[in-house]
Formats: sequence, structure tokens, C-alpha cells
Amino acid sequence: MMIPDVIFYIFATALVLASLMVVVVRNPVHAALYLILAFFTSACIWILLEAEFLALTLVLVYVGAVMVLFLFVVMMLDINLAPLREGYVKALPVGLGVAAVMFAELALILGPNRFGLQTTPAPSAHDPGYSNTKELGRILYTQYVYPFEIAAVILLVAIVAAIALTMRARRQTKYVRPEMQVNVKREDRLRIVKVDSERRWR
Amino acid sequence: MTVNVADFAYLLPELWVLAMASLLLVVDVFLHDDQRIISFFMALITVLGAAVATTYVDIEQTHIVLSGAFVSDRMAVLLKMFIYISVTAIFIYTRQYLMERNMFKGEFYVLALFGMLGMMVMVSAHSLLSIYLGLELMSLSMYALVALQRDSGIASEAAMKYFVLGALASGLLLYGISLLYGATGTLDLGQLNQRISMGQSTDLVLVLGVVFVVTGIAFKLGAVPFHMWVPDIYHGASTAVTLYISTAPKIAAFAMIMRLLAEGLGPLHPYWQQFIIVLAVLSMFLGNVAAIAQTNIKRMLAYSTIAHVGFFLLGILTGTQEGYSASMFYILVYSIMSLGGFGMIIVLSRAGFEADRLEDFKGLNERSPWFAGVMLVVLISMAGVPPAVGFYAKLSVLQAVVQSGFVWLAVVAVIFSIIGAFYYLRVIKYMYFDKAEDTTPLAAGGDVRALMSANGLAVLLLGVFPGALMALCAAVVAH
Amino acid sequence: MVSLSHYLILGAVLFAISLAGIFINRKNVIILLMAIELMLLAVNLNFVAFSHYLHDTAGQVFVFFILTVAAAEAAIGLAILVLLFRNRATINVQDIDSLKG
Repeated sequence: MMIPDVIFYIFATALVLASLMVVVVRNPVHAALYLILAFFTSACIWILLEAEFLALTLVLVYVGAVMVLFLFVVMMLDINLAPLREGYVKALPVGLGVAAVMFAELALILGPNRFGLQTTPAPSAHDPGYSNTKELGRILYTQYVYPFEIAAVILLVAIVAAIALTMRARRQTKYVRPEMQVNVKREDRLRIVKVDSERRWR
Repeated sequence: MTVNVADFAYLLPELWVLAMASLLLVVDVFLHDDQRIISFFMALITVLGAAVATTYVDIEQTHIVLSGAFVSDRMAVLLKMFIYISVTAIFIYTRQYLMERNMFKGEFYVLALFGMLGMMVMVSAHSLLSIYLGLELMSLSMYALVALQRDSGIASEAAMKYFVLGALASGLLLYGISLLYGATGTLDLGQLNQRISMGQSTDLVLVLGVVFVVTGIAFKLGAVPFHMWVPDIYHGASTAVTLYISTAPKIAAFAMIMRLLAEGLGPLHPYWQQFIIVLAVLSMFLGNVAAIAQTNIKRMLAYSTIAHVGFFLLGILTGTQEGYSASMFYILVYSIMSLGGFGMIIVLSRAGFEADRLEDFKGLNERSPWFAGVMLVVLISMAGVPPAVGFYAKLSVLQAVVQSGFVWLAVVAVIFSIIGAFYYLRVIKYMYFDKAEDTTPLAAGGDVRALMSANGLAVLLLGVFPGALMALCAAVVAH
Repeated sequence: MVSLSHYLILGAVLFAISLAGIFINRKNVIILLMAIELMLLAVNLNFVAFSHYLHDTAGQVFVFFILTVAAAEAAIGLAILVLLFRNRATINVQDIDSLKG
């Protein structure tokens, strides 16, 4: 075995274990932390596949932003964990059964006789001056400029949606509005009431 | 490779919608609540302007631009026009409804317009990447629209369900796309088709890819057995949003199926045909049977949608030009009928009252004979009774199915349609033969009344003269 | 020597685990969302592996877009979750049953 193979197997084992833990543990905080581990190890595997830019993006965007958002929400919502445990054992065999069947089918088709080294040999390594980031950037802004623009719109929709859904414009603090103070007229504040003079009782 | 700036001329409608939606987003911030009507008119202008811009693009020829990501052809133009018609009608129907429920905000229009932009991207997609991004743009806007009624628990619940199942569907679809990419090495639909027909790639991988892609599409369409979310979302979302979800996105979904299955995976037709037969039969069965048991008209129409989806898949599975054009006719007609059906719920609703129970339609004939007549036309059209247009839509799909040798499927479809006619007739019975429980006069404004009348007349007139639209669909598909 | 098939099977394992996770955690929406993220990770691994072995950058570009969309999706999903929690004070899907499908 060569060194890249050893690295692959180490990270693959870590990835599988971490992702198993994500779906098995009950505590959402633990699940989020295991998911971070899963993202991190897959970033390492992507580096083996010479996708350096994406590997870095995965760590920066996913671990750095998305998972932090997850943790934020988990901590913000005060979740009662006890009821979430119920029915877990009941669903476990079904889930594992579905997963096993699905995996068996996929492995049968994606196995080495179709995608082994004979049919798809390992590609030759890039020359030392090759930059994955530069290459991706070059086609992203030329060939893929249309998808790039759509992705920008999707992010805009996410911003609009997140703000529209969760921002509460409820006024928490009391403060003076100067424009109203200035505009106040005498009639607003002072009311002159005519009161009939009282008849005197003797 | 460089970008050809002239290519962007074909994107004129999309660019217009994007620019106007962004402008609306900014303008809306500076509006007071009593000026909100400006947002409404801007949204309308955006849609109408997009329709004008679409006619400015060369509509006769097929142009594949921007490195194969975007296609402008006759099918795209026709489908976009119907999307504009649906969205315009939705805006007009829902204005008063939104105002009465404190939902008349700029965000509704911004999200609806971005969702429409996503549909336009899907309609004009020519690569797996554009299809995926268009689909996500549309779906994300719709999740947010469902949840936009922030103080309603039932709406946020519906949004959560919609979101989880939608994200799952995207995941399945993407897994399928990754396998297709791996087997052929391309994302371009034209090249995908070529490479599959040359048969140089490993066959079973493609089939596996097709299984995942069809499952993802079935989820998004709400075909049985992936339909669980449809009734809940139709019921839980506010009627304005249900109206949106049930019309224009169906046209976009049709476009996605055409681009993906017919254009991209055409050579694999024997494989996906089998899945779609199963989906179609199950959808027609469950949709029609489950609709009978419903007491809420939004749920009833949701199950009716499932049944209609099954029917329209019949045309797709033939894989012939006739089948595709019949399906296109069906989905366009369906969107008009659905506008009428859900629009009527909005017409009957008023501030603080949702007319979403079947009982709310009781005695409609006494309250307003004209609207009862319009609803009658819409319902018999959905049931597939002549002379309304729904009959011709069903007939042309059945013809295409029989032509390609599936006589048994046509028989099954007819049987289920007859079962389905029952629950439409029940609403008609409520409208005409029952006493009204609620005698409040209808509160709908003049614009809504006029549009509703036009909607009913369109269903009737298209039924009397279906030839023009049918010929248009046939010509567009044949291109 | 590690072949394409190794990576694809690793992707398949991840995909199967995420599917199992969706079945097991039907009650806990947050973990459900994480399982969906895991599914997208499996898809991304497939794309990156294919892209490497086919010597074609299109796969990597696709992953770039999936990452972007998934981030947007997570933001909207969590916003809806927060909204749901405010309205219902639970994320247990079983408590969320006013809508019976």
C-alpha cells in the first residue's frame, strides 16, 4: 500500500464513523460537532482528489458558517431532549434496513468492475504550476457565468427570506421621536374647555 | 473561452425580472404601509414587462447560448407566457386577501417574482446545472412564501414539512445527476443525449441515475408514493400562497420533465417509462379516491392535483410528440383551472374568514348565481366533462396513450376519472341544491370579480375552441 | 491503489447513512436537516471523484454551486425552524400534527 492509500483509508473510516454518529446521537449539539468532523475529513479526502479550492471552501463555508449557524440555532432554541428520544429504537431497524439495501444496490453498481482502475485509470498528476483555484475561477466567470449569476440570486433570496421570516419589528425600547416633538402644535396638547359657570347655591 | 456579451440579449426577460425584483426590494423599504400598493403595481409591471421582453427575443429559432446553459426556443416562450399569465392572475386575485390578513408586504412580491425567475430559468435550462439552480431558486422562494404568514403555526408547520421533503427531493435528484455526469462526463443536455445514444457509457449506472432523477422529480411534482406533503402544504399555507404553488410551478415542472427526460435522457426512454407508468397509475388512483374523503376544499383540490399530475404523466410516458404536446396542453389548461378553483376560495373569503371548508360553498347559487356558474364551469372542467376544456385535455392525453399502445392505461385512466368526477359533483350539489349557511354578501373587489369571470370564460371558451392552443402545443413540441 | 470505485462506494455509504438518518430521526428536525446536509456531502464526494478521474472540471464547478445553494438552503431551513419553534415551542415532528396527510 502506498501512502495516499493509507491516508484515504484513515480519512474514509473517520468520515464513515463521524457521519454514523451524526444520525445516531440524540443531542443535536453532539450531532453538529460530529457533522463538523465529517466535513473536515471529507475536505481532506477532496485534497487527495486534487480539488484543493473546494476542500478549503468546504472548511470555510461549511464548518465556518453553516455549522456555526446550526449550533447557534440549537443553542438559541431551548429544546427539550427527552421526548425526542422516544420511538428511536422502533425506527432504527427500518432505517438500518433501508440503508443496507440502498448501500448494497449502489455498491453493486458502483463497484470495481465498472469503476475500477482498469476501466478508469488514475489520471496523471497536474504539473507543478497548475492552480486549481485559478482554473476554477477562470471557467466560473466565463463558461459558467450564467449559473454564477443565478447562484447570486439564490443567496439574495436566502437573505430576504431569512430576514422576512425572523426579524421582528416589535419595538423593545422607548425613545423620543424628535420630528413628532417639533411638529407638535398647541392644539394637540392644549384643550380649552368651556365650562358653564356654576350657579351658586345659597 | 470568453463570454459573448451578445448572448445576454437572449436573457432579456430574466434580466428584466431580476432588475425589477431587486428594485422592488429597495423601493419597498422606503414605503409606508399605506403606500404599499406601489409594490403591487411594480410587481405587475415586472410581469407584464417580462412578457413584452419575451416577445422581443427571437421566438422562432432555437438558440443555445452561454456555453449551453441557456436555451431560447418556442417551447420556452410559450411556457413562459403562461407562467406570466398565472402570476399576473395570482397577484390580482390575492391583493385584497393579503391586505385583509396583514400580509400585504413587499416581501411577498419579491419572493413571488424571484420564484418566477427560478421557473423561467428552469423553462430555459439546457444543462443539468441550470435545471438544478432554477429548481432551487423556485423552491427556496416557495418555502419562504409558505412560511411568510409568521404568526400562523399551521403555516410554519407546512413550511417545515415542505422544506424537509423538498430538500430531500433535491438530494435524491442531485445524486442521480452526479451519476449521470459520471457516466457521460457532461452536464449539457444535448451532449448527454448524444453520448447516451452512442452507448459508450456503462449502462446500469445511467439507469441508476435515472431512478434517482425520476424519484426526485416525483417528489417535487407530488406524484404518489411521494405525495405526502401536497395536501398538508396546500392546506397549511395561506390560500394566496396555495394559489401560487398550485399553478405556475406546475408549468415549470413540466418544463423540467421535458428538458431532463425528453431532451437529455430521451434515449433511456424505455427505462424511465416504467417508473412513470407506476407513478401515474398510483397518483390517479390515490388522488381520486382520497379526494372523496376530504372536508376541506383546499385538501380536496390538493388530492385532485395529485390525480391531475398522474394524468399528465400519462402523456409524458408515451415518449412521443403527440404525448408531449398533449401533456403540455393538459398542464397549461390545468394551471388555468387551478387558478379558477383556488381563486374562488379567495373570492369567498373575507377578513377573518377562510372559505376553505366544503360547507362554505353551500348555496353559492343563491348568494351569487354568476360565481356559482363560474365555479361550475371550473369544476366540470376539472372533472373532464364536455364542453369545458378539461375534457379535451384528457381526451388528447388518452389519444396519445392509445396511439402508443397502452390501451389498458387509457382504460384505467378513464375509470379513475369517473371516480374522480364524484367529488367535483358533490361541490356542485352543495352550490346549487343546499341552503346557504352563511349569507354574508361576497366581499371581493371589482378587479377580482372581473378576473374571475374572465377565468371562467377562458375555461369555457378554450373548451369550445381548443384547436388553436392544441395546435400551438403541437407546433412547439415538434420544433 | 485507490480507484474511482473506492470513492464512489464511500459516497454510497454516506448516502445510505444519511437516508437511514432521515428514517431514524423523523422526530428531530434539526438532526433531519443535518442528515440532508450529509446527503449533499455524499453527492459532492461523487462529483469531486468523477471530476478527478474524468479529468473534467465541470464536476467541481457543480460542487461549488451545490455548496452555495446548500448554504442558502440551510439559512432558510433554520429560519423556518426558528419560526416554527416560536409558534409551537417544539421541534418534535410528532407534536407537529395539526396537518394530517
